[in-house]
Amino acid sequence: MLTQAGIIEALLAFIALPDATEAEFEAMALKLFAWQFRNNEPYKRFALQRGRTPLTVKRWRDIPAVPITAFKDLTLSCTPPEDATHVFMTSGTTQGVRGHSYHPTLDVWKRSMLTNFRKRFMRGRERIRMGILFPDETALPNSSLAHYLGLARRECGTPDSQVFIGANGLDLDRLLPVLAEAETSGEPYALLGASYSFVPLMDALEQQGRRFILPEGSLILDTGGFKGQSRELTPDEFYDGLEAAFGVPRASCINMYGMTELSSQFYDDGNAVSQPVKSGPHWVRSRVVDPLTGIDLPEGRRGVLVHHDLAHFNSVSAILTEDAGEIVPGGFKLFGRVDGEASKGCSVAVAEFLAAARG
Amino acid sequence: MIEHAGHLPGFECEALRWRRASYSAWGESVEIALPELEAPQAKDLCETVRGNARARLKRMPTARVVDAIDAAIARLLDREHPLRRKAEHILPIVTGYDRETVRLGLTSYLKTFRRPQLLRFLAEDFANPAVLDSFQPAAKGGFLSAHGPGLLLHVWAGNVPALSLWSLICGLLVKAGSIGKLASAEPLTAGWFASLITEIDPEIGQCLAIVWWKGGDEAGEAPFLQAADTVMAYGNNTTLAALRAKLPITTRFLPHGHKIGFGMIAREALDSRKAPALARLAAHDVARYEQQGCYSPQMLFVERGGRVSPAEFARHLAQELAAIAHRHPRRELSAAESSSVAAWRGAQEMRAMGGAAELLGEPTDPWSVVHVERPEDLSPTGLNRTVKLVAVESLDEVPALVAPYRSFLQTAGIAASPTRLFQLSESLGDIGVTRIAPLGRMTAPEAGWHHDGRFSLLDLVTLTEIEQSAEAASEGFAPYVD
Repeated sequence: MLTQAGIIEALLAFIALPDATEAEFEAMALKLFAWQFRNNEPYKRFALQRGRTPLTVKRWRDIPAVPITAFKDLTLSCTPPEDATHVFMTSGTTQGVRGHSYHPTLDVWKRSMLTNFRKRFMRGRERIRMGILFPDETALPNSSLAHYLGLARRECGTPDSQVFIGANGLDLDRLLPVLAEAETSGEPYALLGASYSFVPLMDALEQQGRRFILPEGSLILDTGGFKGQSRELTPDEFYDGLEAAFGVPRASCINMYGMTELSSQFYDDGNAVSQPVKSGPHWVRSRVVDPLTGIDLPEGRRGVLVHHDLAHFNSVSAILTEDAGEIVPGGFKLFGRVDGEASKGCSVAVAEFLAAARG
Repeated sequence: MIEHAGHLPGFECEALRWRRASYSAWGESVEIALPELEAPQAKDLCETVRGNARARLKRMPTARVVDAIDAAIARLLDREHPLRRKAEHILPIVTGYDRETVRLGLTSYLKTFRRPQLLRFLAEDFANPAVLDSFQPAAKGGFLSAHGPGLLLHVWAGNVPALSLWSLICGLLVKAGSIGKLASAEPLTAGWFASLITEIDPEIGQCLAIVWWKGGDEAGEAPFLQAADTVMAYGNNTTLAALRAKLPITTRFLPHGHKIGFGMIAREALDSRKAPALARLAAHDVARYEQQGCYSPQMLFVERGGRVSPAEFARHLAQELAAIAHRHPRRELSAAESSSVAAWRGAQEMRAMGGAAELLGEPTDPWSVVHVERPEDLSPTGLNRTVKLVAVESLDEVPALVAPYRSFLQTAGIAASPTRLFQLSESLGDIGVTRIAPLGRMTAPEAGWHHDGRFSLLDLVTLTEIEQSAEAASEGFAPYVD
């Protein structure tokens, strides 16, 4: 009989492995599905409705994936939600209703984040001086990104790493001297934040006619896109802009793709060319499916991404996203959200209706 | 096969830049060349059309214009005519709708523009349509004449076949010089119609042009937007707002935004004999044009207390949608469209798990019906044959459920007794519904329809009046004055 403590222990051991074969992943995924099926009542109902139970499911690919919108309507947790030490919520930018992710402990979430972050962003470096362009977790206790960046700063940042977004937004007066100092120090510097936080910063620098050339080895991490919080830039405009403003080559500008409804993240290996390949760690598998039927699409065909994240043990590990993707060798390509399709004729579609309802 | 779109009087094919676009569906593909005009060419075209209309069209009797339209429509209705055959062949490939949907849709729609129906259009808006030809006595005294704009610009959108003909024909009836901008999703019918008109009455053909530019391309659209006196535009509110912002303040702007249609079924229509037939009609309205029309129903409100319950009606509806799918297969959906359907289905599925909704149809079925027992506000579905059925205690509750979305309201399909039809229409009119149709006819508005509650012709014209006193005063200057 599995217990939560047993699941956590098994997961921590799994994450500690250098890699996982398909069979190892499958075994763990099926064990976790059985756990979630037993303890997560709404998920059980969902799985039953799809005719998938631990008895009938033999492959990880057949574990039913919950549409991401379900996190808004249902309480998807294996433990009573009031026992959660952390509740992460989506920003609710699309519909006003926020999706909830309940965590009875952050141990697995943190281990997943750090193991993967060290490998994909730090790349063997112990620590780097960081500037964070996102509010911290005291300001945003329900933001998984605030926790992510806080963890990155504490565990992988030097002691003089700082957050440059406060109650009044971006603190340019503090940030610019730090960047200038980093520029002359010769020590690599890392800027991390929401994609939309970089836009006003680049605009301000351009207005002042300032450019930095951060020392070799400096890095930039952006995530989450623009979400209507800033101007929308194409990937080329954005990464060219970053390279011009901070002197960090596009190959050292890394985009993290993550979501509140998961406990692990995906990275590319730099944005020297746009649409780089993204991939997750060995405890995550991604599929691309036909969104209507849920059937896997062959490599190179565009569909909707499904992520299977073992670290998301307390909720549901298999999530049907609203992100368009394509499986390619080494991972997948991400093409942004797919839910904004307007009507081809003159009827009102959901996206337009919601836009009007928001005013 | 390359099909050249548009109609550009006075231009040689070689003098124009053509942009190729390819379309495929039903295992076939077609390449269409869309004309792209340079700014000087666009300016010339506007002047030519305006000049020709002033010199010719405006001097013609309306009857001659009606004759030409009637003759063009007769050819398009003739299934042996080469253009009609081409339309039946190419439109399914371009729009993705199945052949039968296109064929039946074209015929029923084109019938709206035969001579008797055109006369109805005229009579609908003008007590005396002769005002379009000359000064006619006005009821208050004096004389009136009506003038269409010197240059009317149509900006079309969407893939509903031949939708462009509605505004194009209205423009011709008021003798406006007309330039139409094709929708990329259906860039053919307007040009074919213009070429038929040219063949039948070349003088009218010279007062018409059909063009294309890439939506939002400022350089491409500017000459047209600057030149037009009146702009009739279709599209979503964002597109329309952007367009309006670019027009001179003196230009008359007639927008037609996107809408949500809905149906209402009264308990008296729900017995074991009538309900299945009604379900068939409702399914027809849902399936025709895959709910892409502004008049297409997305939600059905069904009253409790009839012999057939809302839950049973939902089953009849599902059955009919399944049957229609055999005769009229659903268009192949793009990835984004599939996702819209999947997202909507997913959300309904979640609610169904909580017992708040019942979802009929498998994910692989080309249709979905969701049935809820609690009253719910109007909301769009995932389109492409996805419909929500809301059970209500009384249809009198419905106006309050749809009223918050006034700007999206247009057509309501009603099945109820005559007394209730009028009662309900009264309350629906109050909250902004502009068209009441029976089920089965929601996607086929009748001739003379007041689109979005406005006048198809009257909104286009300006009146010139000779005041009674001016006429009286002129008497004093007559050569025969005593």
